[in-house]
Amino acid sequence: MYKNLSSILKSVSKPGRYTGGEYGQIIKNKEDINCRIAFCFPDLYEIGMSNLGVRLLYGALNQEPDVWCERVYAPWTDMEEQMRKYDIPLWAHESKDSVKDFDIVAFSLQYELCYTTAVNMIDLAKLPIYAADRTDDMPVLIAGGPCAYNPEPVADFFDIFSIGEGEEALVELSRLYIKMKKNGTYNKKNFLREASHLKGFYVPSLYDVEYNTDGTIKSFKPKYEDVPKKVEKRIVADLNKSYFPTKPIMPFIEVVHDRIMLETFRGCIRGCRFCQAGMVFRPVREKNAETLNNQAKEIYKNTGYTEISLTSLSISDYSCLHDATDKLLEWTNPNKINLSLPSLRADSFTKELMNKVSSIRQSGLTFAPEAGTQRLRDAINKNLYEEDLLNAVRLAFEGGKSQVKLYFMNGLPTETYEDIEGIAVLAKHVVDEFYKMPVRPKKPVSVTVSVSCFVPKPHTPFQWEGQNPLELLRDKQSFLAEKITDRKIHYNWHEAKVSRLEAVFSKGNRKLSKAIAYAQKNGVRFDAWDEYFDYDKWMQIFADCDIDPDFYATRKMSYDEILPWDIIDIGVNKSFLISESKKAYESKTTPNCKEKCSGCGANKLGGDITWCPKTK
Amino acid sequence: MVPENQITPIRIKFKKYGSLMYISHLDLARTMQRIIVRSGIDIWYSEGFNPQPKIVFAVPLPVGVESECEYMDIKINTPMPCDEISRRLSVNFPEEMKVVDVYVPDTKLKKISYIDYEITISSPYVEETTAQEINSLFQKDLYIIKKSKGNEKEINIREYIKSINVNYLNNNIVINTVVCSGNEKNLNPELIIEAIKKNTGILTKSPISELYSIIRKRMLCEDLTEFK
Repeated sequence: MYKNLSSILKSVSKPGRYTGGEYGQIIKNKEDINCRIAFCFPDLYEIGMSNLGVRLLYGALNQEPDVWCERVYAPWTDMEEQMRKYDIPLWAHESKDSVKDFDIVAFSLQYELCYTTAVNMIDLAKLPIYAADRTDDMPVLIAGGPCAYNPEPVADFFDIFSIGEGEEALVELSRLYIKMKKNGTYNKKNFLREASHLKGFYVPSLYDVEYNTDGTIKSFKPKYEDVPKKVEKRIVADLNKSYFPTKPIMPFIEVVHDRIMLETFRGCIRGCRFCQAGMVFRPVREKNAETLNNQAKEIYKNTGYTEISLTSLSISDYSCLHDATDKLLEWTNPNKINLSLPSLRADSFTKELMNKVSSIRQSGLTFAPEAGTQRLRDAINKNLYEEDLLNAVRLAFEGGKSQVKLYFMNGLPTETYEDIEGIAVLAKHVVDEFYKMPVRPKKPVSVTVSVSCFVPKPHTPFQWEGQNPLELLRDKQSFLAEKITDRKIHYNWHEAKVSRLEAVFSKGNRKLSKAIAYAQKNGVRFDAWDEYFDYDKWMQIFADCDIDPDFYATRKMSYDEILPWDIIDIGVNKSFLISESKKAYESKTTPNCKEKCSGCGANKLGGDITWCPKTK
Repeated sequence: MVPENQITPIRIKFKKYGSLMYISHLDLARTMQRIIVRSGIDIWYSEGFNPQPKIVFAVPLPVGVESECEYMDIKINTPMPCDEISRRLSVNFPEEMKVVDVYVPDTKLKKISYIDYEITISSPYVEETTAQEINSLFQKDLYIIKKSKGNEKEINIREYIKSINVNYLNNNIVINTVVCSGNEKNLNPELIIEAIKKNTGILTKSPISELYSIIRKRMLCEDLTEFK
């Protein structure tokens, strides 16, 4: 089939998205393979190729000699039109074989707004979208990634969810598949039951969910004795010993992150109360400077990239940062390699760090105070003072920079209009700081204030919160616009309707599957893309499916309600989340993991933990 | 900075085919920079605020066209035998790109005046007489819209074709044609396909059963000898 595509490929935008053939792609001999995995990313190639997690899993699975993992991305709408018109099923990049002929089809769910695209890919593969409709001769569909921490809205489409870090878990799952195929015990039912016994796998079809008359969950129980009552997430114990891809695929076409991405550590010591990543990736496990430097050299040799980005949730909390950057700069500077550090915290921004990162190329500085007043920053446990921010921008200005970007959120729990006005005040203080300096950069100061809308996320202290109603979010946005009068301050805000849909899916339950299926059938996809996001259509879809989006997005839940995602155990105790939630209303902060252990519970997961006390 | 007179110019001739025909010139240029860096070839960087490895390509290859004769020139700071450069590039090239030759050039890339293309059309709607039909099409003035950078202008395609030879071979139409290449006169071979579509209806019925391929075979000098 693929051979006949040349005319079609010439007619679509960016055909390089679909053709594979990149340096570093893995081709295997089909005769040596016992398990073929199609790893699907439900967004464009340019987005999917930039995802470090997918690259990691691709490499880890392909280390198994009898497993062949290939890549699949969502075709853009022009390509989809051709595929549907000429009956071309979705194919994998490496072999060009149809996805429907694979053993396992895996999906990486990175954000809620990719759900319709994921379901559309199942449909384009010519597989039934509902797990219950797929037969034994069809592939097993699995999903993982951050969205799997609340798998319920898409529970009807997938056979299995991989919870937590997948590089070891997915290898185990493929080994189980091969074992059962070989000893003749494989059928989908048996396989799913066995998979539910592996650590870190959730099989939604093995649970019964009952509802109360008000729509809340009455009970959520395994159907059988041997199926776990809670699925504990997987973590990789030691990042100095675990697999990291050092020969990544080199895309031909430009992708979003076209550089060396070097993971420094997992988890975050901070515990901001709105942040899901800060909770679900606990406990903190660091890579040492030596491992990092060796991996960087190896990747540079294998790629020829001239930029290295050190990735993590909050890079300045990396205890080996100075040691690691010193080691790296020794050879990156002479080789004209640019070093970049994303997500800097204002309270740890130093002159030394600034000189290191701007050694070759310059870029603007971004800080995220998140809230405009100290009271609200305390309520969300940001642990950042205005002093810290002003110190950081002063350093930046002294270093010759005059552009600063500040990220905030509106609609946070306990927020008042005073807090919103605080954003304008804080931004003004940043501008004033510039003019206080006797010697200033020649370029005039420019402060960009970017404000997104708070989305309550599962497994955070704010998981019980309701989102502000749409009208209130909009009112807050325009209120802030009135308060920002300084022309040096540029104000951007996110479309509240997008955040609204995110909230519905973030906090959704199993009943949402039918709305997603209905949306896909009605041509909804690429919700994360402005050109395709259609809020009114979604509201119609919810109405047609008899679903009230407010029930999920704006309703405040009680601490004793059974939450759709309670089935997942991220390691952090619910009692910790409740106590954090209560402290928010008293504007009380919690120390970070480096300062003092607050007993979140994640250390029970073990591993080579950097700050936590050992349990035993 | 290495003194100008110690910099060695190097010309690399390579093939690019299969999936790589969908990779644009700009993407190829970026890919090539990285190939050279990871090959450990001490390439000369452009000067200025944002130094880049300096690579000069001969005539850019249109998307959808395969080539047996791409040329690119680089300069190297540290001398390295051509064989060694060839070996290193071969290891680091993607699957569907091959090194043909590496040498120290004694000509300029702008000497290229013509390009020899082979176009193959396979379609259930072609037969022996189609070859004749297509051949006669290009023997007279033939006007077609040429689009470039948002501009559209009508050109007489015949003025851009030095020679054309149409045959019917193994149920396919095979066209060998030499067209102009250069700053003043340059023809994208896709325009020949456009002309065939417009005037014969071939390749307009089904993108699945009617296919065509274009291969760049040779680059030629003014006197039609092969460029080197």
